[in-house]
Amino acid sequence: MSYLRLQGVEKRFGSVEVIKGVDIEAEKGEFVVFVGPSGCGKSTLLRMVAGLEEVSAGEVFIDGANVTNVEPAKRQVSMVFQSYALFPHMNVRDNIAFGLKMSKTPKPEIDRQVAEAARILQMEALLNRRPRELSGGQRQRVAIGRAIVRHPKLFLFDEPLSNLDAELRAQMRTEIARLHADLGVTMVYVTHDQVEAMTLADRIVVLRAGKVEQIGAPQQLYDHPANTFVAGFIGSPKMNFLAVQAAPAEGASLTLTHPSFPAPVRVARAGGGEGELQLGLRPEQLHFEDGPCRIALKADLCENLGGATLIHAKTAAGETLTLQTAGRRMLKPGEAFSAGFDPAGAYLFAPDGRAL
Amino acid sequence: MRWLSRLLHGIGLLAVFLFAVFPFYWMVSSSFKTQTQILASPPIWLFHPTLGNYAQVFADEKVTRAVLSSLIVAVCSTGLSLVLAAPAAYALARYEFRGKADLWFWFISNRFISPIVLALPVYIIARNLHILDTHLVLILVYITFILPIVVWIATDYFRSIPKELEEAARLEGASQFDIFWRIYVPLGAPGLAVSAIFGFIFSWNELLYALVLTRRDVQTAPVVATSFMSGYEIPWGKIMATGTVIVLPVTIFALLVSRQMVRGLTMGATK
Repeated sequence: MSYLRLQGVEKRFGSVEVIKGVDIEAEKGEFVVFVGPSGCGKSTLLRMVAGLEEVSAGEVFIDGANVTNVEPAKRQVSMVFQSYALFPHMNVRDNIAFGLKMSKTPKPEIDRQVAEAARILQMEALLNRRPRELSGGQRQRVAIGRAIVRHPKLFLFDEPLSNLDAELRAQMRTEIARLHADLGVTMVYVTHDQVEAMTLADRIVVLRAGKVEQIGAPQQLYDHPANTFVAGFIGSPKMNFLAVQAAPAEGASLTLTHPSFPAPVRVARAGGGEGELQLGLRPEQLHFEDGPCRIALKADLCENLGGATLIHAKTAAGETLTLQTAGRRMLKPGEAFSAGFDPAGAYLFAPDGRAL
Repeated sequence: MRWLSRLLHGIGLLAVFLFAVFPFYWMVSSSFKTQTQILASPPIWLFHPTLGNYAQVFADEKVTRAVLSSLIVAVCSTGLSLVLAAPAAYALARYEFRGKADLWFWFISNRFISPIVLALPVYIIARNLHILDTHLVLILVYITFILPIVVWIATDYFRSIPKELEEAARLEGASQFDIFWRIYVPLGAPGLAVSAIFGFIFSWNELLYALVLTRRDVQTAPVVATSFMSGYEIPWGKIMATGTVIVLPVTIFALLVSRQMVRGLTMGATK
């Protein structure tokens, strides 16, 4: 049986259904990331795991025990909040020791645990400071320290990095990854940032409007998105979509046509499908004036990233396309060019968004 | 013209300051004057201070007993109000329950009634309970006035404490009481202090109920001060000295907690 299991979980606030029947399983020691746009219910789902929100229907299991109606304190979970939620009137030491004091741990044991957490997080020098005397990154570390000392069954993170600036966020991200590797504990992490999800997760749960869109390893989601939503959400810059006309061709393949295709494109698809389909191409799958199949484009805007250039362009049908090329290549707005791609790597989606 | 506007500002501030402080100055300076110096016209600004009035006041057992009574009543009524109101405020700030809005309004509506309206019913109740002329009756009555003030101020203050702190504490295994006692009370201390000052000043200065409910055994300071105003002569020096003695404890108390008070009153602005 899995270590963490959500089974048919639903949540309603009054008549508003926020979580619409979610099933998730995670193994012990896994790093699970809930990702999705704001309002998708990911934080609510995490709070239900913590017990801070009641479950309207369904069940929650942690380490084999049904905790659906167990109060938060008895679930043995620790949570790191977006706002850190440090106690402002206590110094770092007392903040970290709070949970141990609540569980009536003997004083020498508390001191040992706090010292250990301070060592892991490199905050020995900060123990006597108040939270307001700390930087954002240091506060974040204290919040993590408070979670560590209790040796919880689950670590829960609710958008822990969104209050930090970009540089610090990248740094804390690697620290959390290192912490997970060192402690070998089960972590559930909520974010709207797909980069955090890709880099940290063993398993990503993509949510939209209270429903699970896809669950899988980061590479699996990137390579085999289940639908257009996941395809568009995972990966940066986003995947490009073109509305193409598909017609069956011989040998379990399809012929695709589009106003900007100089010649029809043939793709192998056993499942078939015809009529209007969505063709998905990642920016790095498109090559400037190179490749077996071509798309005629007009340049719109070029972004120079130093080592690479992002070219935003438009098709004859008015769709916006982004392609990433190595080096510096600045095109004038309106300049015509072609982008090539290999049809073997292209994604195809049915009109309802399902991957073919 | 910057110097002119600053000058006008200064003059304006000085005028307001004098207007506010002059009665206070008049009371304190008169308490160090003789009866003839007090009644002199035009007023005497420079004089040799005398401690005669204070000697009289402290020699008068009535005054010292009254100050002690006032202290007992004010400390007990304020202290009990805090103990009773803080948990109520926590519940109102953080829990949803039936009739919450009505209860909240009931606390406010307590202050709609003019105190004099209730004086007679309270007198009859106290007489039937045989607690007239005791500290207890004043403490009980003052609690009914102070409690709502503490509840409003503390509720508002507790609401401004981020909810995540409570959630974090809950996850860390803190009980309901732990959360109240270790999170809300220390973080709400400025708000509780502000309401305590209001409560203390109220019971210290209250005259109406003290006059109605006490006779001889338990007289509070304001009652005694006004009692001098009878007879053939009004002993202004003694009244002023008594007034100074009455004002002193509240002033010291307010100065002690003034830093908390400013923080308490500006808390909402900085959040």
